[in-house]
Amino acid sequence: MENGKQKELRTLEGHYDRIESIEVARKALLDRKRMSMRFLMYLCFSLVFLIALGTAVILIITNSRVEKKLRFLEITNDLTVEISQARRFEKNFFLYGTNLNDALENIYHAKNILDQNRSELKKILGKDEHERIISSIISNINHYEILIDRLIKTEPSQMVSPKFHSTKKEIEAELRKYGREMIAFAQDLMKKERESLRRILSLSRNLHIYSLIFLLIFLMFVAYLFGSRLLSHINRFTTYAQRIASGNFTPITPTRRYRDEFTDLALAINQMTQELEEHEATIVQSHKMRAVGTLTAGVAHELNNPLNNITITAHMLLEDYDTMNKDEHIDMINDVINETDRSKKIISNLLDFARESSSQVESLGLEKLLRDTVDLASNQLKLSGIKISFQTTGNLPRIHGDGQQLQQVFLNLILNAVDASSKGKKIQILLVPADEPNYVAVKVIDTGKGIPEHIIGSIFDPFFTTKGKGKGTGLGLSVSQGIVGKHGGRISVSSREGAGAIFTVILPITTIPDKIMHQQVLL
Amino acid sequence: MSIIIIASDSYKTGREISEKVAEAAGYACMDRELLKSVSEKYNAPEGKLIRALEKPPSFMGLTSKLRNLYLAYIQEVTLSRLLEDNVVCHGLAAHLYILGVSHALKVRILSDPERLISEMTAQENVARKKAINLIKKRKALRKRWSIACFNMDENEPSGYDLVISLSQIEPDEAVKTVVDTVGYRKFKPMTYSIKCLKDKELAGRVRAVLMKNFSDVKVQANGSTVIVETRALKRDKQKKTEAIKKLAGEIKDVGIVEVHVFKDIFRQAVESDR
Amino acid sequence: MSERLDVLILDDEPIVGKRLKPALAKIGCEVEIFVNSNEALDRINEKEFDIVVTDIRMENIDGLQVLEHVVKKSGRTKVIMLTGYAMMAVAREAMEKGAFDFIAKPFKPDDLRKIIAKAAKALGSPIDFNASDAGND
Ligand SMILES: Nc1ncnc2c1ncn2[C@@H]1O[C@H](COP(=O)(O)OP(=O)(O)O)[C@@H](O)[C@H]1O
Ligand SMILES: [Mg+2]
Repeated sequence: MENGKQKELRTLEGHYDRIESIEVARKALLDRKRMSMRFLMYLCFSLVFLIALGTAVILIITNSRVEKKLRFLEITNDLTVEISQARRFEKNFFLYGTNLNDALENIYHAKNILDQNRSELKKILGKDEHERIISSIISNINHYEILIDRLIKTEPSQMVSPKFHSTKKEIEAELRKYGREMIAFAQDLMKKERESLRRILSLSRNLHIYSLIFLLIFLMFVAYLFGSRLLSHINRFTTYAQRIASGNFTPITPTRRYRDEFTDLALAINQMTQELEEHEATIVQSHKMRAVGTLTAGVAHELNNPLNNITITAHMLLEDYDTMNKDEHIDMINDVINETDRSKKIISNLLDFARESSSQVESLGLEKLLRDTVDLASNQLKLSGIKISFQTTGNLPRIHGDGQQLQQVFLNLILNAVDASSKGKKIQILLVPADEPNYVAVKVIDTGKGIPEHIIGSIFDPFFTTKGKGKGTGLGLSVSQGIVGKHGGRISVSSREGAGAIFTVILPITTIPDKIMHQQVLL
Repeated sequence: MSIIIIASDSYKTGREISEKVAEAAGYACMDRELLKSVSEKYNAPEGKLIRALEKPPSFMGLTSKLRNLYLAYIQEVTLSRLLEDNVVCHGLAAHLYILGVSHALKVRILSDPERLISEMTAQENVARKKAINLIKKRKALRKRWSIACFNMDENEPSGYDLVISLSQIEPDEAVKTVVDTVGYRKFKPMTYSIKCLKDKELAGRVRAVLMKNFSDVKVQANGSTVIVETRALKRDKQKKTEAIKKLAGEIKDVGIVEVHVFKDIFRQAVESDR
Repeated sequence: MSERLDVLILDDEPIVGKRLKPALAKIGCEVEIFVNSNEALDRINEKEFDIVVTDIRMENIDGLQVLEHVVKKSGRTKVIMLTGYAMMAVAREAMEKGAFDFIAKPFKPDDLRKIIAKAAKALGSPIDFNASDAGND
């Protein structure tokens, strides 16, 4: 038990490299300016708000301007009305000799309007403009008023004098001139203002339309930005998930300039893969220890034979020491030595296999590996009364990989074959070139009970077992598949119920060692 | 010539059948009477010994430490008696610790359910339905007890050579079956099976001594070699090994004592947390 | 000591026979040793042994088959089984098939001598064996 724990720890040691690479990835992921989606979102919303605010402010300003213009127009309109009225009276006076006092009243009103609204007009027109326009209007009005006044004063006495007639004509001409000018001025002002009002109104309308269009484009852009960013993230993580599912635990490294919420996700996934891998390592290890446990039974029994030889020999040596000659002594001692060696061999194989070593990728000759594996299983095979044969076409290229893990794979297949076979059956192991170029194939063939069709699809699933409780773990094949997959190979099976099963492992031969070595760092 | 181990779902039934089998086969019968001598030898109250044989560890009952100690005592005395052949053994949990001894015939006797129910109604003074429930509970309790103490489910039929249900088979027929079966050659003792039993007996003696001081020892014997497994913190390892070797070495028939100390990972974890 | 006992030892481990032969000779056994079960069976067919000592796990014909053969051929021959693969099921099977005794490896020569003495007694020709001083015979 203690060993188990220790081994587990050491397995972790073996994964320090990986932990380190995950640490590096973590640093790289974090070592970027943070620009979170949330931040971007806030930014965009703030921008939209600012735009709306700006539009609103401009609208308020134009509104107040429009109001001002309207007020101005109102004033000028009043003014024009008064002046026109005055002129009408003036005209009547000249045509029909009607009263002029009404005209004076109107003028007075007009002056009043100008007076009352002076400050307002000043505000609307600006100081300079006001001075210029208003003073000219006022001077016109004043002139006009004086002239009217004169007409009224002269009237009763000189009404009939011819001189008066000519002066009247003079005054009339002058009055007309001032009156026209007054009206023209007021109308001009009105026209100008109306023009400017129209401009402002159309500007405000345009502003509305443009800001709407701009907002629309901006929002479309934002939506596109977020959408594509989210989508690209999701796509990225989908590929990561697929990659992890296929057993590639390379940590996720940065792909963008800034980090965001998805960086946190990437970190979490890196952490998860690390843990996954640790668990996988534990499973591989615990499964190995189970295999060791199975083998130990065979070894314990096999060990009894040399032990027995040693016991009997030693006892007889003790018993008959005095009656035997030196040659016999030596013969017996040699027996003891040889049998001790034999015992050592029986266990050393198993100990080698059981020993926890951090995974090591090296160039492997499969032939030797397979012979060792067969040796390792031989006691178990003897115990079950099953024969095993190993054949190879020979001269096959070497492969790169972790010898111990591959040994575990082949041992699993052999032990499965043993479990499926009854006493007296034979298991055949073949090492041949694979049908695919650049691959070698190891076939474990048994003539045991075979695999029923309906379960053949599940046998590689973790925890799938048809063996009773305490006998099977259902991990052998799934662990083996994992190991072979990491070596760039595949396991396949063909079987007919009742006739036996053939498990084929294909592994790539090393043509470009470096590349594969690199790939194997993942182991 | 052989050993017959009888285990039943009711002490009364088991005892009845055991006595009859012993009489028919001409064997001695070993029962909980033996607990008297256990109690004397180890100075342990008989009531508690019976509790250790019946009840799973619980909050109120014996601590599992004490229970294991009592069971070790019972085991030791029982095993020493079993070395003398021709004996029917019942009520001492022998079916759970005598494993792999070919001349021990293990029999499970299932009481007639009706009788069990009526016994229960009388004993507990309850209605039939309640009694059935109680019986079910007791069975579950026994399962828990056997798993807790010996890591085996005593209700599992595969642990026995013979399972006889008295619901259809009459007690006398059952007795005859048992006696006939034990007559098979395969239940004859042989050098190998006697050695197995002797190894167990020696291990039992060593365990009874060691358990007094170390509650978590596992003992195996092979000939005169005794293998002790225990847990300790690294710093206590040496001390504990020596203490065990000394204690076990003084026991009769013990030759070599091998001590395997496993790291006490739990305690270590607890202490490293401080 | 009465007449000598004819003993056949069959074990595919040559050392077993080699060392046990003198050990058993000391207690008055005439020992023939074999490492191959076929040859041993041939010999058993020729001659009725008092005692056959056989290993169980062997190539081709295993000890249990030898046992059956011996029991069939001569009911009085005592068969003693040796095995490194001792398990209760095998032990029971051997006993049921008529083995006289069953002993697990590794064992001491005296252990076997004790069994031989027991067998001799059962055969009605007890031999003079006292385990403790067998060496001083
Ligand atoms: N050579 C074989 N012949 C028949 N069935 C097999 C063979 N190898 C594997 N199987 C089936 O596949 C299942 C899963 O095997 P495995 O993953 O090694 O787990 P386990 O051996 O612990 O049951 C086995 O339970 C068995 O049903
Ligand atoms: Mg398997």
